[in-house]
Formats: sequence, structure tokens, C-alpha cells
Amino acid sequence: MSDYGVLLQQVVNGLSLGAMYALLALGFTLVYGILELINFAHFNVFMVSSFVGMWALEFLGISGQSHVLTGLALAGTLAFAFAVTMIAAGVLGVAIERLSLRPLRGVRGTAAMITTIGVSYILFNVILLTVGAGSENYPNPLPVVRWQLGEVTLELKELLIWGVAVALMVALHFFVSRTRLGKAMRATAQDAEAARMMGVDVDRVIVTAFFLGSALAGAAALIFGLYYNYTSFIIGYTAGLRAFTAAVLGGIGSIPGAMVGGLLIGLIETLGGQLIAVRWTDVIIFSILVLVLVFVPTGLLGRSAPTKS
Amino acid sequence: MAELEKPLIRIAAPLFARISPRLRARLGIVLVTTAALLFPLVNQNDADIDSAANALAFAALALGLNIVVGFAGLLDLGYAAFFAIGAYAYGVASSWQLQPQWSGFWEPFQWLDFVTRFHTAGADVVHFQVSFWLMLPVAAAIAAFFGVLFGAPTLRLKGDYLAIVTLGFGEIVPIVARNTPSVTNGAMGLNGVAAPQLFGYNFGVDATPYYYVGVALVAFLILISQRLKDSRIGRAWMAIREDEIAAAAMGVDRVRFKLLAFAIGAAFAGATGTFYVAKLQTATPEMFMFPVSVMVLVMIVFGGIGSVWGVVVGALVLQILQSWFLEDLSQWLHALGRLVNIDWLQRVELASSIELIFGLILVLMMLYRREGLIPASRPVPALTVNEQTAQAVRGGFSGLPDLGAVDHDAQGPLLDITDLTVRFGGLVALRSVELSVPAHAVVAVIGPNGSGKSTLFNAVTGFLPAHRGNIRFVGEEIGRLPPHAVLERGIARTFQNIRLFPNLTVAENVMIGMHARLDIGPLGALLRLPKTRREEAASRERALEILSLFGNRLLPRVDHLAASLSYANRRRTEIARALASQPKLLLLDEPTAGMNPAETLELADQIKSLNRFGLTILLIEHKLDVVVSLADKVVVLDHGEKIAEGTPDAVRRDEAVIGAYLGRSAAFARV
Repeated sequence: MSDYGVLLQQVVNGLSLGAMYALLALGFTLVYGILELINFAHFNVFMVSSFVGMWALEFLGISGQSHVLTGLALAGTLAFAFAVTMIAAGVLGVAIERLSLRPLRGVRGTAAMITTIGVSYILFNVILLTVGAGSENYPNPLPVVRWQLGEVTLELKELLIWGVAVALMVALHFFVSRTRLGKAMRATAQDAEAARMMGVDVDRVIVTAFFLGSALAGAAALIFGLYYNYTSFIIGYTAGLRAFTAAVLGGIGSIPGAMVGGLLIGLIETLGGQLIAVRWTDVIIFSILVLVLVFVPTGLLGRSAPTKS
Repeated sequence: MAELEKPLIRIAAPLFARISPRLRARLGIVLVTTAALLFPLVNQNDADIDSAANALAFAALALGLNIVVGFAGLLDLGYAAFFAIGAYAYGVASSWQLQPQWSGFWEPFQWLDFVTRFHTAGADVVHFQVSFWLMLPVAAAIAAFFGVLFGAPTLRLKGDYLAIVTLGFGEIVPIVARNTPSVTNGAMGLNGVAAPQLFGYNFGVDATPYYYVGVALVAFLILISQRLKDSRIGRAWMAIREDEIAAAAMGVDRVRFKLLAFAIGAAFAGATGTFYVAKLQTATPEMFMFPVSVMVLVMIVFGGIGSVWGVVVGALVLQILQSWFLEDLSQWLHALGRLVNIDWLQRVELASSIELIFGLILVLMMLYRREGLIPASRPVPALTVNEQTAQAVRGGFSGLPDLGAVDHDAQGPLLDITDLTVRFGGLVALRSVELSVPAHAVVAVIGPNGSGKSTLFNAVTGFLPAHRGNIRFVGEEIGRLPPHAVLERGIARTFQNIRLFPNLTVAENVMIGMHARLDIGPLGALLRLPKTRREEAASRERALEILSLFGNRLLPRVDHLAASLSYANRRRTEIARALASQPKLLLLDEPTAGMNPAETLELADQIKSLNRFGLTILLIEHKLDVVVSLADKVVVLDHGEKIAEGTPDAVRRDEAVIGAYLGRSAAFARV
């Protein structure tokens, strides 16, 4: 394979990772857009959901990578796994909001952020203590199908990831722009006080944002498992930090921004790993976060700089 | 037994109450110090002393993080990174890790005893052996340098971003340590770090000397924290924590003070890192990962964010709980489980669940006791009915204390605005506004809602960039100055929707107003020389003097939190805070909004008297009777343009003004 081919292959890989980061970044952006809160619990909602997805697949009798399905059986299995994971993740997100964040509504300063760190830590340790510290072999019913396009290999699982990600983002876009609740959500993001006066049930909007954001993290978590064939209690930290960087890069609070930012971070991760060294990937992504905050704090597609207090 | 205790308490309690709080605090410190010093003599178990020394290291870290999170309100999630930097700084400077070739370059360092020349088989190398005592401040300085380096890019942004950047920073510092084995020996860690020496005595591996160094370190850091907290510096930090915008308006240079907090917090961690690594004589990347940062955060949340003694207690309790009691607690739970026959209780291992417990502590403390075990501020007794009653006083202030520099009699107006245009995207909020405020005058800006009055104030005070035009104050262009610099020039303001510092006392609020007029820096605050004490006492006295302007409305409440004040008293406190900055020009944004007629008249008289004593005033006001009674000149804005200007009477008859207020048809109806 030529150098050019290797890079092209890394672009394909980067797009797959990027689709996952974009889904995860949307959760940060939805919540931040409305509450101006960095939700650190999101990191480990993602991690917990990957286990939920694993259990859902195991419930259907799939284990390891040898149990391959095709046709309708495959479609049904995946639909079930995605539905269960996303709903469970959404419910977890809503529970976190109701139990630990709603009582702090209106409390100024760092209290809410510290709470999300605490919740994140609880989720992390509950999985660590119950499931254990090892990494789990992820059940994967996808057959290994490869297409050779010139120097690039395309896999079925990549097509699936792109398909799911695009479908979810289109659905989210439709929800936010066309439905009543979506409109209420955009209004609340602009000005919660004014929205409340216009009769918008802000608490309901916040719950919706947590549900949608967490459900998307659930989808991302299942994608993670199917892509890497493993999961572990530790995956939330790195993926979460990268997805957050993606949200900031795209412009925090902006939905298209999170999508674009996610794809860019995915590409930066694979190409940076290829061109520099994998062990420096985190340093590269962190540097991007800092540089973006210094030079373009609005991000690529954001509207206002995050300077108000 | 109980009968014996009761009379004892009955005798002791009144005796205790008779001791003055100051003496009580001193006695407390003496007791704590004595206990700390005697501990290793009483309990001679080396393992216990060792865990106490570790607990002290974490208390020192908690004190540092408390400056960042507790005082300045900035969430730092990568605090362990600075701990690591301090640890590796000493580790590298006192171990065999780096062995450069010997050359003449090293001779001066050899003379200073930083390095020795070492001959091994066929090689002639340098051995670093910098003294522990020297490295304590040096490591603090290095960590502070990195604090500034990484704080500077993000401290201009909203505080949340610092959390995420520090999280990333905390993540990459161990990665860099792991990926640069030539300096840090990578994942295997630095080995053979030298133990400290004092007058030829080598500390070795015995825990007791480290324990005493830990006690001294923590005592020193408590002293620094307390002194900074009760100074101009600490008040500026807390002002930023409470309300950044108001802090800037009162003259606090936000970026500078946030950086200062970040740097001092990092310095504490740097020094502690040196202490910790000298004690362990090794340093690996795993010692400084995210869980350490979270643990220190848990300690300050548990003890009381912003409370100096609270965070020390929080750190000691949690650390000692971990090393002394967790095993026992687990055993008790197992016994309980056997007793009530619950299977999982018999298998609980608290030691491995410690991080889960930390997570629970964070959430539960935030939900149910945000102020922590030992709150930073004490409750103040409620006022008596007598103290609460205040009569509206007409006639304004009498006996004003020196209000400061109001002696402008140069040529030209005090404030001169020409061609000022401010845009928000496509919306023009102010269009080519001209306005001049003569010295010693009262100028009122009126206009319908949304006409650009507050935008005008924000542009003058540096909160909004002008798209075009000039703002001159005493002949100097101030259009590009940041808010704190505008205040320093002598323009103070109040806000339409009142921005006090809610969790600070009334007196502290007013003292923050003096920020720009005091000049005690961090070093002055630390040393607390007579000059500092004098300035501090004078500023408190002056705050009381200014508050006494409002009769007994604010004076009984000086030690109450601003959040507990009534609406009208908040307005008064805000004006007092602005006056404390000794302004030449006072900008009042709807000062009488929300006041009843009696309170309105009282305040109008007071504003008038301020002007009589020489202060120039620019005010936004909706109540036209107030405007008429106060203003020498009225400027009318509508849709961002000046539509009229003149004496109150002339403006009242102006067709354009009537049109703007009542609609065009009303204007025609009058004709």
C-alpha cells in the first residue's frame, strides 16, 4: 500500500470515529446550549451505555464475534440493541437530571458542575466494582464484509456506523427544527427566561435535552463496541474528552457544529496517529482544544463567544 | 456520669463564652499546634506517622486548590498536574536520572553545590543534588509558571472552560511524563530521589522528620491562605467568584487576579510535590492521575469550599479515614452482615470502593450541604425590631466624608462622547450619539425601553466595544479601555438590575469598591506589615463611614450577606460601593427603580447632596419627577439616537420627545 493509500484508509477510519464523536458531542452541546453546564456525567453515561448495549446483544444470545447474523435477523438484532441502549441511556440521563441537577437549578457558581463530576465518578466506580477492571469482549453479530475500492478497504461495519449516525442526526435536525418541543428547545437555548414567559415548560425542555443527548451517547456507545469489539469501564474518559473537544471545535451549543467538530476530531485522531505517533494523540487533541479556545472561542459554527458570565 | 458532666458544662459554658472570639481562635490554634507537634511522641507507630504525613501533603494540596476553587471560583480539574510538576522538578534535580557529560559549564553549579562531578567506568558525568530546602520554593515557582502558561489562554473565557482545559492538562502531564523516559524514566518512574538533609542529618526513610516538615508546610500554607483571604487580594478573588462583571466594574483586573489565583494554587501544589516525592523517594506518572485531582476536590467540597480550616480538616479526615479506619469499617460491616445474614454486606470492601464514596460525597454535599463541614462564612444574628426600623430621611446626606477626586476644573466637559456608534450584529443600538457631561453637573438620560440607555453606560464603562466614535474623560480617550481601567480613571457605576456580591458582607462589598484605590499586593498581604494593617483598618473605617451616609439603613447590617438585604438596601449598598471607589463621575442606572415614593424621594435628595458636594452624575431614570428635580440637563434617546437635549423643562415640551414617549398621534393631538 502506498503512503497515499494509507492516508486515505485513515480518512475512512477517521470518518467512522468522527461519526461516533459527533453523536457524543451532540449530548454536550444540547445540554450546554440550554443550561450552560458542562455535563461531566455524560462521559460515563456513554461508558455505562456500552455495557447496556453489550447486555442487550447477549440477551439475544450473541456472544463474541463468531456469532454472525445476516439479513432480517441482523437488522432486527441491531434495531433491538440500538433501541434498548438508547432508551436506557436516555432514561439514565433523565434520572441524573431529575435527581442531582434539578435541585441545584438556580444555584450559581460551580455547584452543578461539581455534581456532574460526582455523578460521573459514581457511574465509573459502580461499573468498576460490579463488572470489574478487565475489558469485555463485545458481542458483534456483523459479518465481516469488505469492499476494495482502489487502495481503500471499506467494511460493512463502517457503512453501518455512517448510516446510523446520519440517520440519527437527520432525525435530531428534524426534531429540533420542525416539532413544537424542538422549537421550545431552541427558544430556551436563546433565552430561558423569555421562553418561560412565553409559556414554554423549561423543565420539560431540559429533560428532553438530557434524554436526547444521552440517547445519542447510547448510540455512540454501541457503535464504539461494534467498532472496537471491546468495552471497559475506562472508555468514557478519553472518548468524552475528545467529544467535548469536538463540541468546542464546532462551537459549543451549535448542533451542526458538534457534527462537523466530531468528524474533524475523528480525522485528526487517525491522521495524527498516522503522521506523528499514536501515543501523542491525546496531547495533539488537547492542544487543539486550547488553540481553539484561544483563537476562535466561538468555534467553527458557533455564534457567540463563551465569555458571558 | 451524666450527673457529673452536667454541672461541669454549666460551669464551663459561661466561662467559655466570656473568652473573646479572638482569644478563643488563638487558644484553638495553640491547642491544634501542640497536638500536631506531640502526635509522633504519643503515638510512636511509624506507619501511623507515615499516613499522617501523607494526610498533611493532601491538606497542603487542598489549601492550594481552595485558593483556585474556593476563593476565585475557578474549577480546576487537573490540579494533580501541578503536583506532578513539583514532584518531577525535585525528583530530576536530586536523582541519578540525568547524567550529562561533565564540562566547564557545570563548574559554577558545582561551586553552588547543585551538582557534583562523578567518575564512573570510563565516563565523567554530572550528578544533580540540589537541596530539598531550595527546591521547595523553586518547584513552587516552576509550577506557578506552568499555571500561568496554561491558565492565560483560558482565563479570559467563562470559568467552565477552565474546568475542561485543566481536565485535559491533568491528563497530558502524566502522558508527557510517560512518553519522555529520558527525563522521567517513563512509566517505571524516577528512582533514588535523595532524602532531604538538615544540618548534616539525613531524613532517610523514618516517617517522623517528614511529618514535621509536613506540619510546617501546612501551617505555612494556612497562614498564607488566611492572610490572602482577609486582604484586598482575597476580596478581589471573591468578587470575581461572586460576579465577574461587577468585579470588573469595581476595578478588579479579572485576568490578572484569576492568573494570580491560578499561579498561587499551582505553587502550593508544586511545593507539596517536592515534599511528597522527597518522602517517597520515587515518582511515577500513576501518582498524579485524574483520581488525585478529584480526591483533592472532594476534600475541599467536604471540608467547605473557601474555608481555610475547613479544607484542612476535610483533607485530614478523608485521608486518615482511608488509611486508618477503612479496614476496620469493612470488618464491622462484615460482622453486621453476618449478624443480619445479608450476603453482600459480608463482602463489602470499602477500601476498593473509596472512589465511589468520593463520588457520593461530591453529589451529597452539593445537594444537601454546599457550605461543607466548616462553612467559610458564619451566620450573623438577626436584627432586632428596633434595628430593622428605619425612617425615611429627607434632605440628603449631611456631613459627607471626603469623596475624593472631584476637583476637575480644567477646560471642557468632564465626559465628552462624540459620534458613538455601537452595533450588535445588524442592530444599531447607538447611532452617532453626542453627549457631554460638564463637571459638577447632573445629566439625566431618558428614553423609552430599548432606546440604548444602558448600552450607552456599557460603552462608557468598557463593557461594550464602540463600533465608531470617541469617549473622552478628563481629556483622555477611554473608549478602548477595559472596565477596570475605566474605574481607575474615576468613573464608577451601578447596574440596572443590581449586581452586588451576594455571598459577601455589606462591608466587604463596599471594601471591594476601594480595590483600585488601595495598593496592597500579594506580598504585602502575606507579610502584613504595619502599612498593610493601617490600610486595612482605614479601608474598613471608610466603608463604615460611607455606609453611615444612609443612616441606620445599612449600618446595622454591615456584617450581613448582601444577598439577605431588601431590594432598596441593595440599591443603596451598590451606590455605597460605587462611592467607595472615589469616583469623579458616578453613573447611576435607574437608581430608584423598585423603590416606593418615600424611598425614591429620600434617594433623590441623597443623590442631589452628592452632587452638591462636587460629584458629577450621569443617570438613567424613568421617573420624570426625579429627573426634573435632579438634572441640570436631560438627554433623550430613542432607537439609539439622540432626539433631544436641554433643560428638563425644555425637553418636556419637545415634540420629538412627546412623540417618542406617547406615539406620533399623541404628538399631533397636542398641536
